[in-house]
Amino acid sequence: MIQNVAMAWRLTRRELRGGIKGFRIFLACLILGVAAIAAVGSVREALRAGLSSQGAVLLGGDASISFTYRFADEAELAMITDAAEDVSVVADFRSMIVLGEERALTQVKAVDDAYPLYGTAKLDPPMPMATALDGMNGQPGIVMDDLLIDRLGLQVGDSLMLGEIPFVLMAELVSEPDNATGGFGLGPRSILRRSALEGSSLLSEGTLFDSHYRLRLPEGGIGPAYGALMPDLEPNGARWQDARDGAPGMRRLIDRLGAFLVLVGLAGLAVGGVGISAAIRSYLDEKTGTIAILRALGAERRVIFLTYFLQIGILTLLGLTLGVILGALIPALLVPVIAQSLPVSAELTVYPRPLAEAALYGVLAALLFTLWPLARTEEVKAADLFRDAALGSNRLPRPLFIGLCVAILALLVWVAARFSGMAPLAMWSFIGLGGAFATLVLTGIAVKYAARWLGHRQILRRVPTLRMAFTAVGGPGGEAGAVVLSLGLGLAVLAAVGQIDNNLRGAISRDLPDVAPSFFVVDIQPDQIDAVKARLDGDPFVSRIDTAPMLRGVITQINDRPAREVAGGHWVIRGDRGLTYSAQPTRTTVVEGEWWPEDYQGPPQISFAAEEAREMGIGIGDQLTINILGRDITGEITSLREVDFSQAGMGFILTMNPSALAGAPHSYIATIYSKQEGEAAILRDLGNAHPNITLISVRDAITQITGLMGQVSAAITYGALATLVTGFVVLMGAAAAGERARTYEAAILKTLGATRAGILVNFAIRSAVLGAAAGLVAVVAGGIAGWAVTHYIMEESFAFDLPNALAIVSGGVLATVLAGLFFAYRPLSAKPARVLRARE
Amino acid sequence: MTTPVLSLRDVRLTLGNNAGRTEILKGIDLNVTTGETVGLTGPSGSGKSSLLMLMGGLDQATGGAVHALGQDLGAMNEDRLARFRRDHMGVVFQSFHLIPTMTAVENVATPLELAGVSDAFDRATQELEAVGLSHRLHHYPSQMSGGEQQRVALARAAAPRPEILLADEPTGNLDGATGAAIMDLLFGLRDRHGSTLILVTHASELAERCDRVVHIQDGRLA
Repeated sequence: MIQNVAMAWRLTRRELRGGIKGFRIFLACLILGVAAIAAVGSVREALRAGLSSQGAVLLGGDASISFTYRFADEAELAMITDAAEDVSVVADFRSMIVLGEERALTQVKAVDDAYPLYGTAKLDPPMPMATALDGMNGQPGIVMDDLLIDRLGLQVGDSLMLGEIPFVLMAELVSEPDNATGGFGLGPRSILRRSALEGSSLLSEGTLFDSHYRLRLPEGGIGPAYGALMPDLEPNGARWQDARDGAPGMRRLIDRLGAFLVLVGLAGLAVGGVGISAAIRSYLDEKTGTIAILRALGAERRVIFLTYFLQIGILTLLGLTLGVILGALIPALLVPVIAQSLPVSAELTVYPRPLAEAALYGVLAALLFTLWPLARTEEVKAADLFRDAALGSNRLPRPLFIGLCVAILALLVWVAARFSGMAPLAMWSFIGLGGAFATLVLTGIAVKYAARWLGHRQILRRVPTLRMAFTAVGGPGGEAGAVVLSLGLGLAVLAAVGQIDNNLRGAISRDLPDVAPSFFVVDIQPDQIDAVKARLDGDPFVSRIDTAPMLRGVITQINDRPAREVAGGHWVIRGDRGLTYSAQPTRTTVVEGEWWPEDYQGPPQISFAAEEAREMGIGIGDQLTINILGRDITGEITSLREVDFSQAGMGFILTMNPSALAGAPHSYIATIYSKQEGEAAILRDLGNAHPNITLISVRDAITQITGLMGQVSAAITYGALATLVTGFVVLMGAAAAGERARTYEAAILKTLGATRAGILVNFAIRSAVLGAAAGLVAVVAGGIAGWAVTHYIMEESFAFDLPNALAIVSGGVLATVLAGLFFAYRPLSAKPARVLRARE
Repeated sequence: MTTPVLSLRDVRLTLGNNAGRTEILKGIDLNVTTGETVGLTGPSGSGKSSLLMLMGGLDQATGGAVHALGQDLGAMNEDRLARFRRDHMGVVFQSFHLIPTMTAVENVATPLELAGVSDAFDRATQELEAVGLSHRLHHYPSQMSGGEQQRVALARAAAPRPEILLADEPTGNLDGATGAAIMDLLFGLRDRHGSTLILVTHASELAERCDRVVHIQDGRLA
């Protein structure tokens, strides 16, 4: 064995002396695939590291304790103050800025003098936060996001109203340190001092606000503080977050987006695999003569196999090294671009783990795609020297190699599932890729036969250029399979992303405004609700008004056990939820159990959303304990209802009988369905009459949500584009490989009287036919993937996006024609005599 | 006096690359008249195939002039040369040079299609029947023997009824019996269409079937 390896190594060295010219496509595919995955992984690690080191800054403290609709009571505050070195209290709520007739929604942060405990807010003109909030001319100060300043046409020094309180704009808020949500709120941010709101109804009991107690703790103090505080505070509805995971939402987004992009990168590697396999096949075809000579000279097949395995192994190592280096460098270029969309600054350095992960994917993909053609070297016999043999036979390799390929594929799937942390998605991605692969291979064959059939039809015989192009596509040794596969896979990924993106955005921006209300109105006090209804009742533009009492509460226990033990991490029990009370079921259908009688006065009863109950494993007869404003209320589920959240109307997971909740301080919310023409007047009249209430324009919220989704979708599109670039490289490889055959064909055609323009048109037509076929399959595959994701994951109706499909098909045609024409120069310019005589 | 179909005056061909320049043809003067059959003979590397290529406008002389049917081939660009061949010439090669992605009938129909002949496929079928390949119409080159491929090549060259038929060692890749059959077909086609035939060959017995034999030695007429 050692002798064989030594012999193979000597032969390898001699073969590689000829350089790596034949391996350009192999290397390009491997480098691109590995670099894309390494880059995504490195950016993810850089952002994770940023999140981790800035956890306290993003959170606003080493730990944060939050309450809904209330501040901590005296006893709670005393506990919190005792446990921390320093405490800063921040209230967060939505309100309306009023400037004359203009109104704009804002997300307000009402802070104290200790704010911010960590980090610094950046203001323009530069000044300390305390100075800005002091205000001037006897008016308290406010700082605002530039979006808000632009929308209202404000200048620094202008006065404005927040609710019924006058403020003076002191500066633009360029950045706030504790912006863990990434700046995503329903309105742009304003910061003011909480003491300025005293006496107003903006933070009165029953209005919608959150209070956050940010704690500065000694080093290593997070665990002890949690232990000292939360056993007492959690039952009161308090929620805990700490700097070890300062921005969990952002971390989840980065993790999921990163994992998803790695899967897209794997699709790129699969596309590259097609090029890798083709390059190795073509290289070994050229080596058939050499292999036959070696066999004639007595080389065993294992020596032959090892010789080429070692060559490809060395080149794989080169490709991996270059790919990893490139992947480690890309984040330095990428991070400054994406940093603007993220609240966290990335820590740029070399992260070995994602680079190793990318290299592992690269090794497995290279093995998977080279082993099959390499196995064919075993078939070459010495007798092939006397024949015009090539490795292009369709015989399967030995079972050992087939088994190895299956094992490598299984390992690749397992590694992807494990590293991505999204095993089902990884599995489905591989199944989808496998399906797309098989479909594209079959399409390549189908295109070939269809072109052959068409080329023989009478109708095409009247158009010789078309006839020749179609017979070339359909004839033996055509490029149909390679082109359709290499381009089709990349285009399919892009088509799927496009269809999903369009449906996701469409579901929100296209369909939702037709069914969604114009405004959500919050913080309507009980004594204001009749006046609000009276204003809207007579409005000819308003078609519907829904109102409901609104409280917020946390489900803390289910059947006397902690809710988390029963329902795991279900979103309903994570944090507080809106709940209401009602004597009758309105705009809902009870699907199980019985609604309480209208005048019911007995122990608390609960009507729960049916789908969420099923997911949480609870049902009729179960007891839920809900903490509302620090008070526990336990009730029994007596009915289950259908709740439809898809139309953005009013939907409560949990409704109770009126006598259970009516005594608790609460406000009302309303949804107003109005024609667009009536919206401005509603905003003005309700705002003027009730300065404390907040109107949230659904149209504005939709614009903001679609904007955020646009950024996510852009990241995924860039990932898909990397796949397409790999596909294009493979396509160029296929075109380059076909150049010799086309040069020969062009020489014969010239001999028979064809002009260069005619030959060029012939080449362009066949490229276009193959590009269109690849594009069409991509659109169908992308459409199916888009439908599956929209239907099963998003649970939305699917609408096929025709412009996207047309763009994909046109892109396919354009790419193949460009690649074809790029390699048309030599065939067209070569003198026929030289080409033909070289073949004599 | 009969007008020459092909007229070569002091034709020279020098090929060169970085390694140096090689003079292939060193001043050839030759006239071929209408309907004549000319055998070009000579040892390997003497320049006979290169001369044939220049006659067909498949390569261009680096000196002198090649006139075919009264037209100066040296003054034509690539596309005009292609059209000239389409309208007036048929070429047969030693290695057949069929288009591998086309069937036999498509290969034969191609020059007719390029010439805009409306019944290209009917005529191609007739030509293939004439060379005894009516059973191979829809076979690809890779599915045929060498002899069959050369018969397709003959049919393709003869199908447009060219005034000039150029054949470069058409039996060079075939065994004796097959080669003899091909030569019978070639001369038969020439007789049928009345073409002028220039035949490059090593074999003296084939050359002797021509009206005239021209021997080339070291790039010159011997």
